[in-house]
Amino acid sequence: MGNLIKTNRSVPIVLALLAGFALLVTVLSEAYGSGGLSVSLTKTLGMTVCLCIIALSMDMVWGYSGILSLGHFAFFALGGYMIGMWLMYARTEDVIAASLAQGQLPATPAELNDAIAVQIFGVVGGDSFPWMWAFSHSLVAQLALVVLVPGILAFVFGWLAFRSRVTGVYLSILTQAMTLALSLYLFQNDTGLRGNNGLSGLQNIPGAEAIPQSQISIWFLWASIAALALAYVFAAWVMSGKFGNVIRGIRDDEARVRFLGYSVEGYKLFVFVVSAIMAGVAGALYYPQAGIINPDELAPIASIYLAVWVAIGGRGRLYGAVIGAAVVSLLSTWFTGGRAPDINLGFYTIQWVDWWTVLLGLGFVLVTLFAPKGLGGLVDLMTRKGEAK
Amino acid sequence: MSTLLEVSGVSVTFDGFRAINNLSFQIGAAELRAVIGPNGAGKTTFMDIVTGKTRPDEGRVLWGEKSVSLLGLNEAQIAREGVGRKFQRPTVFEDQTVADNLMVALKKDRGPLAVLLFRPTPEDHTRVEELASEIGLSDHLQTQAGILSHGQKQWLEIGMLLAQEPRLLLVDEPAAGMTGPERDHTTELLKEAAKTRAVVVVEHDMDFVRKLNCKVTVLHEGSVLAEGSLDHVTSNQEVIDVYLGR
Repeated sequence: MGNLIKTNRSVPIVLALLAGFALLVTVLSEAYGSGGLSVSLTKTLGMTVCLCIIALSMDMVWGYSGILSLGHFAFFALGGYMIGMWLMYARTEDVIAASLAQGQLPATPAELNDAIAVQIFGVVGGDSFPWMWAFSHSLVAQLALVVLVPGILAFVFGWLAFRSRVTGVYLSILTQAMTLALSLYLFQNDTGLRGNNGLSGLQNIPGAEAIPQSQISIWFLWASIAALALAYVFAAWVMSGKFGNVIRGIRDDEARVRFLGYSVEGYKLFVFVVSAIMAGVAGALYYPQAGIINPDELAPIASIYLAVWVAIGGRGRLYGAVIGAAVVSLLSTWFTGGRAPDINLGFYTIQWVDWWTVLLGLGFVLVTLFAPKGLGGLVDLMTRKGEAK
Repeated sequence: MSTLLEVSGVSVTFDGFRAINNLSFQIGAAELRAVIGPNGAGKTTFMDIVTGKTRPDEGRVLWGEKSVSLLGLNEAQIAREGVGRKFQRPTVFEDQTVADNLMVALKKDRGPLAVLLFRPTPEDHTRVEELASEIGLSDHLQTQAGILSHGQKQWLEIGMLLAQEPRLLLVDEPAAGMTGPERDHTTELLKEAAKTRAVVVVEHDMDFVRKLNCKVTVLHEGSVLAEGSLDHVTSNQEVIDVYLGR
């Protein structure tokens, strides 16, 4: 750990900032503090923290390993779906059991099961559980799947792609195709995850009906901050030692690494799978705060935005990814949430809901031109000056 | 003298062009060898075959005392068998320090998990310092490799190869773009390395080859045209016709 801090001085700073942030939101929260922070804003902040985690995982894959994945939101959403299945099942079970208890005779387990299935799948014309819901009654199993499903998908995809030495833009296109295919598949009503309806009501935590959302939202924010802190330390540890040197070597000169005797494919696969798992965990924390997940979340555009965040924040530096995701996604929420005042030019009114993407595109171009190392690069510049050689 | 590498009857064709034509080549366990030949003679393709980058259409490439075939192995496996390769263009990790470059190359377990848990021991640091002094970069251990001069990068890459402790070193035009004193240093490095291992130097520059003072193999149109001392091959009429006479 001492070594880690020496080689990566951003770790203690980021951890301190995260602790300060956790304290600040608690003091301002409705549940534990002054109440200056609304529940919806608390949730927005919590979700933003989760987006910082997937940005970290993207930075490991793209910034450090040079693999421009344009499909990372597939792993994020799969993590969300896995936890969503348990949330929806357990919550529906509670509701159905309560309503059946009103009847004369106690319901048999089979009746209960059918009633839950009709309640969940009625919207897509189903009345029984698809095979993939086999473990949805078990929180432990679904938590394991949060890690396993994105991990296994990344392993199979990565193994096929890296083994065939697919690199560069071709790999990016493949990852894009992966997330698009998955999204289109999930849009169908008969695939078992409720088609375009997705999973909803995820903000209702089973067994915690009596606890107000103001409290639950701050718990999730804490959990998200803790997860980001862990992910940051983990990523810094992985990238600080010789492993990080090999990985950056692969980014800069794959052939040299190969002729040094390192199995380049194995290393890429390792990082790809680890980052997919991080994305899955981030998604599992994000969607209970969002309350709903549907196949739109896997649309290719989401993963492209992720690349934009990391590019604006500065790839190849972990805090860059965090800054980029936080700044851009919060700005995005502000501009598209109807809070930003429209600008009336007399002959034309700039409505930010529509014009935000233009502004983002412009920002992306400006960063690429004038700060190629991103916002994180500006931080570097300031700290270097502070050191004064 | 025991044979370390034996290439026999190897041919390879790219889109109908026969880059290597029934090539046979042998090198002993501790030997310095220069490979010369005009452009397109197949020098680089020969290296590609030995290091696993290119698969030959026919022929055998046998390695070591047990005569293991290298044809079934990939580049990384061949490198772990003990074949080091220096590229023509200096190829180092420019973003990393000289010490990091050498540390990555040190002969250690190459598996991802072993590397993840790797922490350098004092011996590893000593070894890195020794290598740096051997290649004349002791004062630059913490320098980013990207800002080294061309010659220094070439030496760093040779140092990385030595760190790998290969039994065979394939070196592609090491003296290209070097100044006189830099060449002399490079010559010394290669001669020193060849005392304990096999070193194959592909080179265009006859003066440099003369300084290496070793057995020479002349390639032409993908096969061996002549082999022997430099004076022997340069007096060969065929060699003069295809290569030196031009």
